[in-house]
Amino acid sequence: MVFLTVANWIRARGPDEFWRKRRIFRLAAHYTGRRRNCYSVAVRNVHRALAYATKARKLKKEDMKVLWDTRITAACEQHNITAFSLREGLGRADIMLDRKSLSDLAAWEPKTFHCLAAVAKEKLNLDNFIDGTDKKEPTGINLNLKDVMLEAWLKEKK
Amino acid sequence: MSNKNMFMKSAFVRAPLQNGVGRYVCQLQRIVLKFCKSHGGSRGIRDFIEQDLVDFAKQNASVVVYLKPRRHRGPVLVAEYLNGDRVWMNVQNKTHSEITKWMEVLRTQQGDISGARLRKYQYTDYPSVQGPWTPFTFKDPELNVATLPDPKFGANNRLSISATEKLRLMFEKQAISEKDVKTGE
Repeated sequence: MVFLTVANWIRARGPDEFWRKRRIFRLAAHYTGRRRNCYSVAVRNVHRALAYATKARKLKKEDMKVLWDTRITAACEQHNITAFSLREGLGRADIMLDRKSLSDLAAWEPKTFHCLAAVAKEKLNLDNFIDGTDKKEPTGINLNLKDVMLEAWLKEKK
Repeated sequence: MSNKNMFMKSAFVRAPLQNGVGRYVCQLQRIVLKFCKSHGGSRGIRDFIEQDLVDFAKQNASVVVYLKPRRHRGPVLVAEYLNGDRVWMNVQNKTHSEITKWMEVLRTQQGDISGARLRKYQYTDYPSVQGPWTPFTFKDPELNVATLPDPKFGANNRLSISATEKLRLMFEKQAISEKDVKTGE
């Protein structure tokens, strides 16, 4: 008879000191001096590093948002529109693009971004929206929208 | 932990050997379903085996399915892939529908994805179709043949908004447009 289940009932004690400290030393391998070699110094620094990592997850998202905003504002400046107006115009035209997409388009598809700025401007013109912020005109070229049925598209009911 | 530790390396999303671009080869080699015939935690996996396993095996003829009924052991899925990775997943107390979804995940994976942190969730060899933005994308092409300093390109025309313009905009903002006015008609 083979008793296989008996082996499941054996409890193991926790790992001993060497292995407990090794877990910390492996995380501190790239530190300098005593912070890498002495346990009591290393453990404090490793705990701080882990705490920083936890807090940084939220900060990374905030940093990316600021970066995207900077890029969108820079791209808007070239097209005689403010970022606020762009967001307002695209929102009124039911074009739901987030900051990430807009900044990617501004960097990789500049002509598409130019057209989006033109759409936003046209929509705000049709709505008689006035943006009081300082645009420091003129910097860019306004697109030739004669052959594009933009007004009809913006006015149709969605 | 910072990114300088050796363990959790960072990687980009890749399809090795362009799997799926042309032909798609299922990377799952074999899957082992270990379960208990009587314990409650194996109920979900037992339901899956009774109802959905045969269909799964028929649809994925390239995957070898093993069943291991073992007493007094928790239910487990072990998937082995063509690149040698082995993924162990505990499915104790998981429902039938959850296990179906996890099986789908294991079937469509390329291997053990927990080895590296994904830096971005997209990857492309051709990020730009129109050509990426350069500082000269929206500049006047006459700059190419102009000798700087040039009075046209050096003109100071990006002045801040004047007080008159500010007042005019403020007036227009608070002005009541004709369609808002209700007339007694």
